Amino acid sequence: MGPGLLGYLIRRLLWAIPVLFILSVLVFYMLRLAPGDPTDTLLRQNYTPEAAQRLREKYGYDQPIHVQYWKWLTNLLHGDLGVSTRYPDFTANEVILPKMWTSAQIGFFALLITFGIGIPAGIYAALARGTFLDPLVIGFWLFIDAVPYFVLIPLAQWLFALKLGWVNLSYEGVYSPNMILPVLTLSLPAVAGVARLMRASVLGVMGEDYVRTARAKGLRERTVVLTHIARNALLPMITVIGLSLPGIAAGSLFVELLFGIPGIGREAFDAVLAPDFDVILALVMFGSVLFVAANILVDIAYAVIDPRVRLGEARG
Amino acid sequence: MSNRTLTLLMGFVAFLILLVGVVFAVAVLGGGDDDNAPASPNQDRPRSTSGGFCEAKQLIVPGTTPASVLDPIQVTDVSTSEYVVEIFGGLVTLDRDLNVVGDLAESWDVSADGRVYTFHLRDNILFHNERRVTAQDIKYSIERAADPRNGSPTVTAYLGNVVGVVDKFEGRANEVAGVRVVDERTVEIELIQPSDFFLKELTYPVSYVVDREQVESDPRNWTRRPNGTGPFKLAEYTPAQTIRLVRNERYHLGAPKLQEVVFDLSGGSIATRYQNNELHVGFVPAVELESFKDGSNPLAGEYLEIPEMATFYIQLNTSQPPFDDPNVRKAFAMAIDREQINEVLFYGALRVADGFIPPEMPGYTESVSAYKYDPEEARRLLQESKYAGNIPRVVLSYGGSAGNSPDILVAMQEQWRQNLGVEVELQVLDPASYLREQRRGEFQMSSDGWSADYPDPENFLGKLFASNSPLNYTGYTNPEVDRLLEQARNTTDTRERYRLYAQAEQLFLDDAAIIPTFWSVSHMLVKSCVKDYPTAPMTIEKYRYIDISRD
Repeated sequence: MGPGLLGYLIRRLLWAIPVLFILSVLVFYMLRLAPGDPTDTLLRQNYTPEAAQRLREKYGYDQPIHVQYWKWLTNLLHGDLGVSTRYPDFTANEVILPKMWTSAQIGFFALLITFGIGIPAGIYAALARGTFLDPLVIGFWLFIDAVPYFVLIPLAQWLFALKLGWVNLSYEGVYSPNMILPVLTLSLPAVAGVARLMRASVLGVMGEDYVRTARAKGLRERTVVLTHIARNALLPMITVIGLSLPGIAAGSLFVELLFGIPGIGREAFDAVLAPDFDVILALVMFGSVLFVAANILVDIAYAVIDPRVRLGEARG
Repeated sequence: MSNRTLTLLMGFVAFLILLVGVVFAVAVLGGGDDDNAPASPNQDRPRSTSGGFCEAKQLIVPGTTPASVLDPIQVTDVSTSEYVVEIFGGLVTLDRDLNVVGDLAESWDVSADGRVYTFHLRDNILFHNERRVTAQDIKYSIERAADPRNGSPTVTAYLGNVVGVVDKFEGRANEVAGVRVVDERTVEIELIQPSDFFLKELTYPVSYVVDREQVESDPRNWTRRPNGTGPFKLAEYTPAQTIRLVRNERYHLGAPKLQEVVFDLSGGSIATRYQNNELHVGFVPAVELESFKDGSNPLAGEYLEIPEMATFYIQLNTSQPPFDDPNVRKAFAMAIDREQINEVLFYGALRVADGFIPPEMPGYTESVSAYKYDPEEARRLLQESKYAGNIPRVVLSYGGSAGNSPDILVAMQEQWRQNLGVEVELQVLDPASYLREQRRGEFQMSSDGWSADYPDPENFLGKLFASNSPLNYTGYTNPEVDRLLEQARNTTDTRERYRLYAQAEQLFLDDAAIIPTFWSVSHMLVKSCVKDYPTAPMTIEKYRYIDISRD
């Protein structure tokens, strides 16, 4: 890591602070200014103006927005995400963090499988260009991608649980055989995208002079494919991998709903409907932090892997 | 391109394609032959949880996430009270047939004027931590409910008739004068006016007993492991995942037979997991209902039809055009064919509501009747109304969790179009906005539902039809209805009271400020090894009756 890179990194991190600050102010104000607060859904048919007022005082919704914001920010800096109005027995931390961890673990395994299959499939399709195997491979994964979750999941549940009896469907923790189906349904439809990108990337590299040179030198085909083509073709994938990292912590609404996984995708959906102010805010902030972090990570990865990229210097 | 790398890559991908292909082939080809195979062959397959599915005394049921804290005085919804009634208890409770029976109280006397109830507590009543429950605990719990600082949303509605509750709630008194400790085991409750349904109101969670020591030592977090007196103790609550109740061995009405009840909050695919022996209780999908009713489904033996004391309805805002004209309201009520909707859309899963009070309710009067389907008359009434030929834009709003399903609304929309030539727009709102706009009286028409808190017509009529009720969103006021309701409230003769409610209900229905649509029915599946599953039409403590055994 050269000094240029370090400087670049520090600049990026410093830039992230105002970005996150402005974002948090915007989201906070949008939530508070939108009509409706959680008192309606909390009180339902027992709503009276007095009861609603008591609740607003309890949660501090009666104070001016900037006061509420300041309180929220102070708490946030102490690691306190606030309260959940939907799970009044729990703090927002207790609601969000375990669920996010659950989703992140499942998402991570899904990501491994997606790229583990997508990259070889893409390379293969590119090398097999001109034969029927190329459209067959890509077409197959596109087909998987095209089957909607709500068709794929009940079918898989029926087959593997009821018919074959290999797995159960209840959630029993991330490291249980019951998680194989959700991980596969999360990962396999995404293979097509990765495979097509990889295929395009390999095709681009295959026409490069250095590949022809390598072949002309009489290198074995395996060496050419592995060291000259695949390695260079993988470079653009760094962006794809890096930018899909924040996504895994966002969870998947459909998969979590249909498999009953207590993950963050469902949580986010329910929180918005409630509306559960602090939980929504925390999720937006987590998402933004992860996005910024992933971007920085991608840039660093490029600089480390590809000596042609000199971030710090390029940006003066 | 024949080299080893390529071959390996090809092999790998080919293997994957083959694998997935085979799986799909099995799925597609293997389907059809035994779709309806009974789940019983799997009955013996052990679950990964302790013991066998039908051996262990562990009941696994689909649950719903409680909407409020597990504090009896904060409960407003069915989802929370389902747990609260199991964990806590009060002076009296409802048995499986909805009779009021003693819980903490062994017996009670009522004074001659009907205003003073003297409760004699049992000897052997204990909190979950084995501390003895005394008369002071009863008084503390009711005063805590009435304390304005605790902001109970239900105390004035259910205990407002107890002398001093409203005074304390409105800050005019420090204690609830009407609740008096006579001695360790005797407590007296004085009412403002005699009431025939006071004991029923007393079965509602707001008057349940809580442990003062626990509440005061940990005011913020005590509800996470509440120390109640009910048949079950809360052992675990993981949001969106599990609520686990374990049996209270020392429960004074008899220890539950089950060791624990696991509520699965994850949602997931309930039907599939029921079939796969992962849940003891499931629901019948509407499309398969017929095969369960006629017994042709292999699982028909596990089917339980449970009518519920819950009514769906459409509210018409009588202070907004065009529903300020009674003829328009009646025309709308007569133009919908609810029988057809029920048969065609729901395979008969619902019951057409011929009145507002559901038939399971004590005091249900059969002669009370809502408008029947009569398209001719409906058209005639619309012609007679002041909006004949110039009906304004009509919007039907929905979005609360309690109301008619959107399918019903779309079907009714079509029937209004066909039978009246009126184009009703449907407007969906998120739950919070729906509740807010409804409260403000913004809606012309809205779809809603109401389910019983305690088994008495007062809970339906007094709450929704009185002109001063905050829940009357119709803008409808009728002095005659108000007079009848007030008179009923003050009558201690049960039959006379029910007669007055029936009169009020009929008047309200005749004016068509609301259109009752359906009475709810729950179509459940319960595994054959689950014995004595209670079929009460409302939320009661039920798990202590249930047993799991093979035969």
